[in-house]
Amino acid sequence: MQSVIQILLVAVQLGLLLALSPFVVGLIRKVKARLQCRRGASLFQPYADLAKLFRKQPVISSTTSWIFTAAPYIVFASTVAAGLLMPVFVSHTPLNFAGNIIALVYLLALGTFFLILAGLDAGSAFGGMGSSREAIIATLAEPAMMLSILAIALTAGSTNLSTIVHQSALMEGVVVAPPAHLMAFAALFIVTLAETGRVPVDNPATHLELTMIHEAMLLEYSGRYLALMEWAAGIKLLVFLTLLVNVFAPWGIATSLTPAAIAVGLLVYLAKVAGLAVIIGVIESMFAKLRLFRVPELLGAAFILSLLALVFFYTLKG
Amino acid sequence: MPVSTHLGSQLVDLCSVLLLLCCFAIVAQRRLSACVDLFALQSAFLAATAALVAFLTGHRHIYFAAALTVVIKVIVLPRILRKVIERLNVSRELGMNVNIPAGLLICGALVIIAFFITQPIIPLGYLLTRDSLAIALAIILIGFFTMIARQKAITQMVGFLVMENGVFLGATAAAYGMPLIVELGVFFDVLVAGLIVGIYTHRLQDAFDSVDTSTLTVLKE
Repeated sequence: MQSVIQILLVAVQLGLLLALSPFVVGLIRKVKARLQCRRGASLFQPYADLAKLFRKQPVISSTTSWIFTAAPYIVFASTVAAGLLMPVFVSHTPLNFAGNIIALVYLLALGTFFLILAGLDAGSAFGGMGSSREAIIATLAEPAMMLSILAIALTAGSTNLSTIVHQSALMEGVVVAPPAHLMAFAALFIVTLAETGRVPVDNPATHLELTMIHEAMLLEYSGRYLALMEWAAGIKLLVFLTLLVNVFAPWGIATSLTPAAIAVGLLVYLAKVAGLAVIIGVIESMFAKLRLFRVPELLGAAFILSLLALVFFYTLKG
Repeated sequence: MPVSTHLGSQLVDLCSVLLLLCCFAIVAQRRLSACVDLFALQSAFLAATAALVAFLTGHRHIYFAAALTVVIKVIVLPRILRKVIERLNVSRELGMNVNIPAGLLICGALVIIAFFITQPIIPLGYLLTRDSLAIALAIILIGFFTMIARQKAITQMVGFLVMENGVFLGATAAAYGMPLIVELGVFFDVLVAGLIVGIYTHRLQDAFDSVDTSTLTVLKE
């Protein structure tokens, strides 16, 4: 009976990640459209886009190798696997024995690595440019991400995500070290914007050759491969948002497996992710995209913030 | 009430850390007007911290200092600085003595130094605000660094004001605020300093066609 429930929970979490991610992308686009006084496309437009792309026949360049066709599957699978490792609406996620927070970071890095390879593989000028930019951003974002995650892990005394979330959820909102958490949150938020290609770093809506990063790597893709890549990007965004809300604001997450707790956890989770998506939409409308040479400054600031989070953990005892 | 004191000191810590966060934003910011806005925001957080300390300790005169902070540092001084920027038609800092990523790293090191220096004193301080002393020292050092790293007179003034904010936070943290007469004197000083720098910047602009203070080392007929 217990194992049936566990399997069911994994299935629900998988379904939620797959189903919710296009909606989050659509929500951010809708918020941006409303702030620009446009009506904007429907919230469910990304679903229609994905369905259309899956029906189309892919066109593959004759200069590509097996990497080009394998990369979408690897990117998609690694991102989904990362999403299954973390607690979403129940603090004890069944698959948490499979890996801790460090495994999650490197599963995401694996996806980024193959995305970069795929960008290079077709040999087009734009793909290579996008890949080199993505590589710069990924290398600069990673130290900030690891340090902020370490600061949180130190506070909880564990690198296991379920333990971290469960502990802070049981403390009923009284955080152990608020300054450290505040700094780590700011750092991880900047990393989220950078890693998921949102506005101050990359513009997800652009098809202007000289400024694009993520789009440049996907230029050669079409049909179901493009659909998988786009879907994986949406899931990656959702994974980061989930990480932010559950680690820093775990209030309301289900700490036991009663139906009522799970229902509340699910609703609270949806509300929190929607709130964060709206905030990202507002930020995208407020700021212009940074010039590429300014991106290291932003990520440098994120690194310093996460470093300070670690320092505060040791010095500010309250 | 050990729980309440603990929560109170955490809240004070949180407010002080917001001040420190503003410092880093100022160091990373090129646009002069944004620097001034960030300084106003930092002063607002400072007033909030002071009001919080006043509320938690029952020292009435800190409320007064917090109100003065709002009037002078959140409203009057930023307005003077914005006016100066408008007239100068310079919007951003172009040349810097230290570039921004290096500046951020140095500021990170300054914070660690400040924490290291205050480590032996902190256990002796008041329970409620003792961590703020370390943060105050860090803010003073970063303000000092901003004055060294920037070349425009306006940002140097912002650095000076940030330092002053750090001193105020330090006084609140170490001694629950200075006597009111001293606070009044300091506020008057800061206001006058703001006015003087405003006038001085205009003279600099007239004489050299720039507000770059490094031109002052050059001899001119």
